[in-house]
Amino acid sequence: MVREVSESCVDSLLTEMVACYCNRFYANKPELAARRIEAIGYQVGHQLSERYTMERPRFTDHLEAIKFICKDFWSELFKKQIDNLKTNHRGTFVLQDNKFRWLARMSIDPSTDNVSPLEDITSPTAESKAAQAMSMHLYFPCGIIRGALSNLGIPCAVSADISNLPACSFVVRIKA
Amino acid sequence: MQFFGGSEISPSPPAPTASGNNGHMMYVFNRNGVCLLYREWNRPLRTLDAQQDQKLMFGLLFSLKSLTAKMDPTSAVEKGNLGMPQLPGQGCSFHSFRTNTYKLSFMESPSGIKIILVTHPRTGDLRESLKYIYNLYVEYVVKNPLYTPGSPIRCELFNTTLDQYVRGIS
Repeated sequence: MVREVSESCVDSLLTEMVACYCNRFYANKPELAARRIEAIGYQVGHQLSERYTMERPRFTDHLEAIKFICKDFWSELFKKQIDNLKTNHRGTFVLQDNKFRWLARMSIDPSTDNVSPLEDITSPTAESKAAQAMSMHLYFPCGIIRGALSNLGIPCAVSADISNLPACSFVVRIKA
Repeated sequence: MQFFGGSEISPSPPAPTASGNNGHMMYVFNRNGVCLLYREWNRPLRTLDAQQDQKLMFGLLFSLKSLTAKMDPTSAVEKGNLGMPQLPGQGCSFHSFRTNTYKLSFMESPSGIKIILVTHPRTGDLRESLKYIYNLYVEYVVKNPLYTPGSPIRCELFNTTLDQYVRGIS
């Protein structure tokens, strides 16, 4: 029997974790908050990859490990595989999830008809604030991927691109 | 261990069939009487400004809830004075009323969220539809990390899904 965690519970926990680091612990230091959130993700990914590779033989190359992340690892986490994997064959991989679960409900209304006079949602500051808030929620999954790969002996840097929500692309750059 | 628990939105309840778009307007209030959302689909005549309109609507609901609870002939519980606030779900509560020009359907969640939908007078029972709208609220507003509880709802996903659903109500 597979053990499951309530998705709502994890969603709320992730939201609260990001809110705590961004608005309370490091309210004026977004870079530091991002680093801490990513570090938590790293630890989680590290432990999860240990657990999900228990029954497997060692990976022979980078591509095999990345494929494991795209298929088995992602399926364990989100009950779906990564939708698209691209590589330049020089150590950079792009993993695209067309409907990333942790972003699926994230939205703001760009229209101005229901905005309070105090805050213009279409102003650059409000828009960039929303974008920053969204990107803050991506440090955790980036950390998870980095932690998982690191535990498989692949040191790398992971970043995310959310230019077309709810799709999300994770860019993995393997360190030489 | 999976980060998964199957909280997908349940399929839309079957809406009673008739023709055209019957949704006129909708309000969402929180337990403190703050109007979190006002949506309008078909309201040619507006006699009040938005704030007055919302105050009046909340006052009407408050009074009707008190009145229906006070008049309840089946409950033996001490009912208190007319107008005394009741806990959500306490006592009996109305779910709709109808006039010759519109029907007002009402639902209140245990957390005190009140959803009011004003539709064409010939619209059928909308209790399941209101539950579904509440489900949308939970999925797209409460679970939206960018939403601050108690503030006006500005979630594009919620608005578009709601529009789509209400336009289908008949």
